[in-house]
Amino acid sequence: MLTTLTTLAALALQQTDTTVPVRSGARLEVNNFGGEIAVKTWSRSAVRVEANHSSRDRIQIVASDQSVHVKSEGGRHGPGTIDYNITVPTWMALNLSGVYTDIKVAGAQNEVTAETVQGEVTVLGGSGTVSLKSVQGSVTLEKAKGRIDLNSVNEEIKATEISGDISAETVNGGITLLQIESANTEANTVNGDITYDGTIKDAGRYRFSTHDGDLRISVPEKANVSVSVSTFNGDFNACFPVKLTGKTKHRFSFTIGSGSARLEVESFDGDIKLCRPGQVSKNESDKEEE
Amino acid sequence: MKDQWTDRLSEYLDGELGAAERAALEGHLATCGECGATLAELRRVVARAGALDDRPPTADLWPAIAEHIGVVSLPARRARRRIVFTVPQLAAASVALALVSSATAWLLIRAGARAPVAEAPTPAPSAPATPATAAMYPDKRYAAQVADLERALERGRGQLDTTTVRVIEKNLRIINRAIREAQSALAADPANSYLNLHLAQEMRRKLELLRQAAALAGARS
Repeated sequence: MLTTLTTLAALALQQTDTTVPVRSGARLEVNNFGGEIAVKTWSRSAVRVEANHSSRDRIQIVASDQSVHVKSEGGRHGPGTIDYNITVPTWMALNLSGVYTDIKVAGAQNEVTAETVQGEVTVLGGSGTVSLKSVQGSVTLEKAKGRIDLNSVNEEIKATEISGDISAETVNGGITLLQIESANTEANTVNGDITYDGTIKDAGRYRFSTHDGDLRISVPEKANVSVSVSTFNGDFNACFPVKLTGKTKHRFSFTIGSGSARLEVESFDGDIKLCRPGQVSKNESDKEEE
Repeated sequence: MKDQWTDRLSEYLDGELGAAERAALEGHLATCGECGATLAELRRVVARAGALDDRPPTADLWPAIAEHIGVVSLPARRARRRIVFTVPQLAAASVALALVSSATAWLLIRAGARAPVAEAPTPAPSAPATPATAAMYPDKRYAAQVADLERALERGRGQLDTTTVRVIEKNLRIINRAIREAQSALAADPANSYLNLHLAQEMRRKLELLRQAAALAGARS
């Protein structure tokens, strides 16, 4: 009985392993209805597509000078679940999408666009425009630089060691931005905490907003920044002395140094805390341990 | 990530941009796939909205969505069936809200609290606008756009996974709660600029989630 089942399973599963050469500048496009897209990099100018899938699914790899397009055909049964392991040159731009799909990328050094509905997006690397979106999964990005756009609906967003302009938005989840080198960062959520540990550059713009959550934001000691704090039902405190100006019922401001950068922190129903870089991350670690 | 043209697309669609801005935007559209996609989405929503009957949304499908979107009359819907809604407009609406009395804000909340959506009498077109009407007017447009998106979503809802639908409904409830809380706070402190902007932000977010959900449903149908 067990032998029969094993044999049937072996018949039902199929493996595809194809390698195609690519020209410099070509883009990888993968669409996978369900399963996983895992992309890693190598030094060769070629794309290797390994896929585990049902024998009913046919993997199509269409390569041209401009792109390598990977998709599947499920025939009359519709699209199935496919796990892709794809190896690409480090310079290759990636455009990955799915519905019930987890997306993982490691080692990319060019643009990355990843979108899924039910699945997690985890990217290590990326340069230029990096746009990651999931409706029901978390979005995690590490070691990327450029124009960063992170979007979820029902899960958290985490970004670490990022350099560049950052936009992060979710509805029901926290946003954690650590080791950030940015002159332009915006993060907002409705139901979740926001943590930012990074630079405040002269003439930079930073905006952090949540409806129901706490904000922990780092302000370097030598920052030149005008800070605007708004909270309706929360407390404010700082790890360093501040002299409040422009104080109204739910809003106040203060200036550090020349005030050339602008920092806006807003929480309708949560506390706001400003600390020095490193202290914010420490608080975050403490909270996770608790 | 939004660029400087994202919020101008609806004006472009309605022919409200000047010649120079129109030319600049068209130049931008030639190179920006994201703006092109957004514009196409807006066109689809407008086309869908134009083809729809003026029936209220089916009550059993999106009760959570219908909650707190305000009261819209049939003539207003017909007159305003177009996609014009930007953050600056919302902010302007919020500032207008701040100018009216607490009583008006209280009325706004009460009107918003009625669910499901009901038809309400509106002043005759020739009637002079009262401050309250002027303040409410942008909110009606907003409600009309939310309703249009709900209908687009409604048509494609069957294409969405039930889990996805649950998640969208859950997150709409979260946003609706935030909107209600902001409105309630604003009623007590109508001149508070933070609360006005916060309300505008939550309303924008609701519209974006509905757009995203409608696009998902449309893509799968």
